[in-house]
Amino acid sequence: MKDRWKSSTVLAGALPALVLGTFATSAAAQDAIRVISHRQPALEYYTEQMVDALPEGRVTIELMPIDKELELASITMSSESDAIDVVYLNDSAFKRFAANGWLEPLDDLWEKYKDEYDLDDFPQSVVDAVSYDGHIYSMPILTNTELFFYRKDVLDEAGIAPPSTMSEYMDAAAELDSPRMAGTIMSLKPVDAALNEAHWYMNAIGDGWFDEDWRPIFNNEAGVEAITMLKEMSEYAPRGFTSHANDESTINLQQGLAAMGLQWFTRAAAMDNPEQSRVVGKIHWVAPPGGGARVANDGFAISKFSSADKEEVFKMLAEAASRESMREGAKFAMPPRLSLLEDPDLAEEFRWYPAARDALESGKPFPAMPDFLDVGEIVTRHILRAVTGEAEVKAALDQAAAETEELLASRGYYDQ
Amino acid sequence: MSVDAVSRRQRDTYLIFIALCVFTFINLTPLIWAVLTSLKDPRDAFTIPPTIIFEPTLEYHYEVWFENDFFRYLKNSLIISLGTVLVSVPAGSLAAYALSRIPRRSAGPILSALFTIRMFPHMLLAIPFFVMGTFLGMIDTYPLLILALVAINQPFTIWLMHGFFLEIPRDLDEAAAIDGCTSWQAFRIVILPLARPGMTVAALFSLLLSYNEFLFALVLTGTTTKTLPVAIASFGGEDISAWSLSAAGAIGIMLPIVLVMLVLQRHLVRGLTAGAVKG
Amino acid sequence: MVRWQRGLWLFFLPSFGLLAVVLLWPLGYAIYLSFFDYYLGSDARTFIGLGNYADLLSETRLWRSMWTTMLIAFGSVGLEFVVGFALALALYRLHRSAKVFSVLLFLPHIVTPVVAALFLKWMLASNWGFIDATLLTFNIEPQDWLGSPFWAKVSVILADAWVFTPLIMMVLYAALQGLDTSLIEAAQIDGASNWRILRHVIIPSLIPAIIFTISVRLMDVFRFFDIIYVLTGGGPGTATETITMYTYQLGFRMLEVGKASALGVITLVLVAALLLAINRTLNKTYRGGDR
Repeated sequence: MKDRWKSSTVLAGALPALVLGTFATSAAAQDAIRVISHRQPALEYYTEQMVDALPEGRVTIELMPIDKELELASITMSSESDAIDVVYLNDSAFKRFAANGWLEPLDDLWEKYKDEYDLDDFPQSVVDAVSYDGHIYSMPILTNTELFFYRKDVLDEAGIAPPSTMSEYMDAAAELDSPRMAGTIMSLKPVDAALNEAHWYMNAIGDGWFDEDWRPIFNNEAGVEAITMLKEMSEYAPRGFTSHANDESTINLQQGLAAMGLQWFTRAAAMDNPEQSRVVGKIHWVAPPGGGARVANDGFAISKFSSADKEEVFKMLAEAASRESMREGAKFAMPPRLSLLEDPDLAEEFRWYPAARDALESGKPFPAMPDFLDVGEIVTRHILRAVTGEAEVKAALDQAAAETEELLASRGYYDQ
Repeated sequence: MSVDAVSRRQRDTYLIFIALCVFTFINLTPLIWAVLTSLKDPRDAFTIPPTIIFEPTLEYHYEVWFENDFFRYLKNSLIISLGTVLVSVPAGSLAAYALSRIPRRSAGPILSALFTIRMFPHMLLAIPFFVMGTFLGMIDTYPLLILALVAINQPFTIWLMHGFFLEIPRDLDEAAAIDGCTSWQAFRIVILPLARPGMTVAALFSLLLSYNEFLFALVLTGTTTKTLPVAIASFGGEDISAWSLSAAGAIGIMLPIVLVMLVLQRHLVRGLTAGAVKG
Repeated sequence: MVRWQRGLWLFFLPSFGLLAVVLLWPLGYAIYLSFFDYYLGSDARTFIGLGNYADLLSETRLWRSMWTTMLIAFGSVGLEFVVGFALALALYRLHRSAKVFSVLLFLPHIVTPVVAALFLKWMLASNWGFIDATLLTFNIEPQDWLGSPFWAKVSVILADAWVFTPLIMMVLYAALQGLDTSLIEAAQIDGASNWRILRHVIIPSLIPAIIFTISVRLMDVFRFFDIIYVLTGGGPGTATETITMYTYQLGFRMLEVGKASALGVITLVLVAALLLAINRTLNKTYRGGDR
């Protein structure tokens, strides 16, 4: 019986200790500014700048994959909890969060610190991208754009010029496709990756996603042609392309398993990193053929429910987004400041900048609606059904359009 | 049995042994590959043909543990999983004992109800749990996650322990009652010592569940109480150089629980044999 | 009633009290939400009665994902059971080395699910995954493990089996340890074949353990999520979209919490009915329905 006694005393002792310990720690944690963000090299860099901007211990950073980050942020903010102070948002998530009223408007602080942090250096298009309904809600941190990656050595050997139209791209992919090297990478994992890829085809060949009344037009003739082309192109994609997202496609390029394809600007530097890549110096870039690939402006927003001093938080963000900080961060992502984008040194230093500037001009952001992620969920599901042969292209797109309209109607898009 | 039969049996045993060796090796390939991945640079991690011979580096293991605060997450994980076990197993055992001593026609529906609750998708509980935690001001505290884990763990613990208590004859309690014991005394002095193997099994399963749980840990913890699975998931995704790190982290997170299993393996088999699965 | 039984209800108190506060409350809240049109992003929720249920039950997507779930669930539990039972029998035959094997074979079950999914992805990913890379080295053209609708289902089933076969193996191995060996010896002396011994002596006495493992697994397999999420994300197309994947899409992606909750309730009812039916049949076949 002695044993029994011991274990119950341990139990009785452990519980109060646990409870006490918790309250002590949570009291201390309340002061710190909690930033949550997606993990990628550029954001690792910029969140570090935030930590450095304030005295030690003031800022805590949590990095995680973006899907987890958005889940956590949605749950937290929908319950009006102050557990998160700053959240990284890409453009489509940003619109949704702003529309939900979860973000703090930054207009006054923006005005107040305009000169100190040279905020006019952000081009109007970028400021628009971080605004919703006339208010600024987010500090721009990076501009990301899809680039067309290609193996210069392979194309040269085959005597093919870098494609400038979709049909040239298709011909080149067909020509270069071999058992050891796929003609092109394609990232069609649902939802985000597939949506990016489809966005490009839908703009380059189709007429885009919506008309000006938010009625779907992606199932019109041009849209069907776009997705038919995407389906045909997938014959030259590496096996498994339907479960590939950016990582898999990046590895396929780095390991020399694919000749070309669409991938993000932020992945360019990894091609020349000898620790990861077997194709150092061999990849070159142009703006995506046909134009219309995705351009995204991402930033950091302050939670409406944060109990931190919002001015202090704003200054921390502005510090991380300062000209000096962004000059340094330019190797990870395109800085959204005019003064840096026009800096000729960048092109010299990083081989992919000229292509990126072209891509920025020919590219297109996602439709400016808070519900595009939900639309994307519907659309990618049906597009993939078409690509894998579960359904005809036209039928799949028609169904996607019908479901999209139903969703948007329920969110009040067509109320007049 | 004839000599022939004995030698045939011997031969069969050898065959089984060899087959098991092959199967075990194939079965462990993903783990072995992960260990190798954690020891090499990302460049060599994903190649054709697979790189088997390379210069191993402990850089990523070092980085995970010493530059990313993994010891702190390990501490959090231990507090939370031990806390869960310490609450879940005693509470569950008490209820299971009572269930095993009331008439079967009342116990049956209660057990079924417990199971029905268990089948509700956990992810749908995450939002209510968070709302509750916010309301109580307990987000990012140990007790909140412990309570959530205990709650989802209770049905299984009760079911498991119920099986054990059924195996313990009622005559024992009745004898104790005749000796003048209250039901609490009968439970503590007579029944509990006999149920120990079962409690070990229940503790082990609770430990596994709470140590590995991800979704609630993500939603209900914050900077101070983050657990190992959440910390490891934060390396997943985007940056490929982080994949060697996630492999190193993933191997690291397994070690404590493998140690526990090694120590308790004997008890697990014995405990399961003793009754949990006879109910 | 004997005196000591009167205090028995107190024993329920800690556990059921806790369950009521921590589990029933959120569960009740979720069920309550299932009657509302509730989008997490807006404060407004409108009561729509059974609207969510009617919507869901009339959708082809629900039934398709239900069908996929059944396929994957029965596929993986069947595979797990057969392999797990075979392993348990093999371990039972080997006396001395059984301990080492049982520890090694149990390892996959200990791996954190999120991490296990990642390990399996490194195996199955096309081209640079271990399996493909090995096959390609020998110039064998591999299948598209995660990309073709058929192989994606197979891969997902194998992945689940990798994690959970050890559990079944362990429980059945433990149950075998409790067998009355004299019965087997008697049968052997009577000259019964191994198959007959298995069929008529071993399996009947393992029935409780078998029911235990199959019900536990079936209950959990319907919540199977982490691995599918990482391996295929429900794709290609909707080939591996299970009911839980669908719930996730609704609740966490589209933030339609009301509809997602309704789906949770539907899942719960269907699975409970299914399990009840299976348990009944198993019991009836093997013990003439005496329980």
